[in-house]
Amino acid sequence: MNAPFYKFDLFGFDVSLIIAFAIGIGFGFALERGGFGSARILAAQFYFTNMRVLKVMFTAIVTAMIGVFYLSYIGYLDLSLVFISDTYIIPQVVGGLILGMGFIIGGYCPGTSFVAFSTGKKDAIVFILGVTFGIFIFAELFPFIEDFYYSTNMGRVTLPDYFGLSYGMVVFLVVLMALGAFAAAEWGERVMAKKGESK
Amino acid sequence: MHEISTTRNNHLIDPTLSVWGWEIPVYLFLGGMVAGMMIITGYFLFKQRQSEETCSCRYVPWVSLVLLSLGMFALFLDLEHKLFTWRLYTTFQVTSPMSWGAWILIIVYPAILVTILITPPKWLIEKFPVVKKYSNWLNERKIWIKNIGVANMILGAMLGMYTGILLSSLGARPLWNTSILWLLFLVSGLSGAAAFVHMVAKNVYERELLAKADNGFLTFELFVIGLMIIGLLTSTQVHQDAAMLILNGPFAPTFWVFVVGIGIIIPLIIQLMAVNHKVNHTPWAPIMVILGGLILRFVIVEAGQVSSWF
Amino acid sequence: MTALTHILSKVKLQVTDNEHTYSHVEAKPYSNPYYVGFGLGLVLLAAFVIMGRGLGASGAVSSVVTVGVNAVAPEHAQSNGYFSSYLGDGSVSPLKDWLVFEVLGVIFGGFLSGMLAGRVKGGVEKGPRVKTRTRFIFAFIGGTLMGFGAKLARGCTSGQALTGGALLGLGSWAFMLAVFAGGYAVAYFMRRQWR
Repeated sequence: MNAPFYKFDLFGFDVSLIIAFAIGIGFGFALERGGFGSARILAAQFYFTNMRVLKVMFTAIVTAMIGVFYLSYIGYLDLSLVFISDTYIIPQVVGGLILGMGFIIGGYCPGTSFVAFSTGKKDAIVFILGVTFGIFIFAELFPFIEDFYYSTNMGRVTLPDYFGLSYGMVVFLVVLMALGAFAAAEWGERVMAKKGESK
Repeated sequence: MHEISTTRNNHLIDPTLSVWGWEIPVYLFLGGMVAGMMIITGYFLFKQRQSEETCSCRYVPWVSLVLLSLGMFALFLDLEHKLFTWRLYTTFQVTSPMSWGAWILIIVYPAILVTILITPPKWLIEKFPVVKKYSNWLNERKIWIKNIGVANMILGAMLGMYTGILLSSLGARPLWNTSILWLLFLVSGLSGAAAFVHMVAKNVYERELLAKADNGFLTFELFVIGLMIIGLLTSTQVHQDAAMLILNGPFAPTFWVFVVGIGIIIPLIIQLMAVNHKVNHTPWAPIMVILGGLILRFVIVEAGQVSSWF
Repeated sequence: MTALTHILSKVKLQVTDNEHTYSHVEAKPYSNPYYVGFGLGLVLLAAFVIMGRGLGASGAVSSVVTVGVNAVAPEHAQSNGYFSSYLGDGSVSPLKDWLVFEVLGVIFGGFLSGMLAGRVKGGVEKGPRVKTRTRFIFAFIGGTLMGFGAKLARGCTSGQALTGGALLGLGSWAFMLAVFAGGYAVAYFMRRQWR
């Protein structure tokens, strides 16, 4: 058991910031390679014309999930020390709905807007200003929505806990689901491409 | 960073740690840039490129004149007794880096002005017709222009080196007390100046040349940083502590992310691709290099003031 | 065959490039999404193994907003329950934060990737039927919703959907489904902007 390194004091807070920068470079690099710096590609996801978002995102989730499962299974990674945010189910679903609407209206999510900004997209700058404003509004309204924000706290709960399945079983099911989603995405793209030709 | 209690009391050295604000790092940065620009201009004069219409040696001296004056002004703002500045010029102390610096700064001005005289702009000739006469006189003597180029290079090198020597002669600050600091500041000033000329050069040959030169300077700068850290780590305990300030201490994020990452490695990758015509030339890499040079001075000055003997 | 055309396009570039002019490098197409996803997954895994935490983005903006409000109205920031949690005890600047440095890396990583692929160029991302002004207004409204929603859900697509998704968090999966639901629900009304 020697990972996560930071939690086992392999390095201090100041060095962790340097690592943050390095990991961020990898993150930004991957997002840009995936075409996430383009709002049109991101939005195309919601019109079934280009399913890149789904493909990249689910491949990433599956890769990291299998990695985490394997490393904790062999006892290298202490999963209890990996930060999983607590579940507050209703605020999170409501927040997700608002965020989803913001996604298709604004064209980015915060992470991708930074990539779009760095590759020179002007609308991304406006979007980032919008995010800043939205966070400001949230913080100013916080005293009024504090109760809602902290409602339906379920603690640190994961899918295996909730459904009473083993960790490996859930991993297997998520992989199956992802493969199904990939097949559906490839099929959907072909159908939409044909539709586009016939127009 | 920890509080220190001591019975020693050397005014503004011992119990008081941070007494330098933004003025000194800004001055060190501007001085380094001017030094690099003088060396580049001097090289082009030595190569007899002044007759080229688009030669950077026609406008870079103007930029260095402005930057040097701004730097001197920042230095002046930092002085405690502003009215006694002139006294620096009543004496010359061979063993004092301060005295050397004050005099180098004064000699640098005429060198830049003479460089401007070689290829004076039109408006200057219209206003002062006598400029044309001196300019013609100079241009008839190519060997003089070559020598002005050499003088520019020597003075630029002295200016670039002295800022580092000034800091490293201060034994009370272990981080500065490394004999390689002058090289770091010189090569950083050179890379910043090369990046600047690369960014603004109208002449394609000069742009390509300086992009390549800048890559060399940046690579060398990485080596110098490595050597400086190794040097500190193999020295006494206080020097090792000083090195730790930028290795894993409070200055590490700024140093490694802004100076090494954004200021050297990322622009180096982009410029290496640019000189091989894999990507377009853009001003972004040079801007990063220049900002990295500025932040380097801030980190070294701030961290140096925190490093101490006990 | 594709490999051959790939090589041919490179050769052509070098021929046009032999003059020392401002070379114009063509933008390369985006990479295979499955490879990118695999790479992104490895980055995420590295964050778990090295740091014991995932990626994020909106938290960095929160830090910046906090610093801004604290600079303008320090008393107000300290009395507000949300800002004060970011200010902490005031000994360390909220900008000296893991997510702030990570997002800085995202900006430069994206720039580097775009630069190497010749994709860094200005412009506005929108469909052909909508004016730039309209696009900007929608970008701002969408950003505002995004910022608000991300704070309510305790993370955005990076912090919740990606990170929490890989860790199989219940709230994260519920959030992810809600994001897609919200997006598809409004997509029809937004089609003029994108298509």
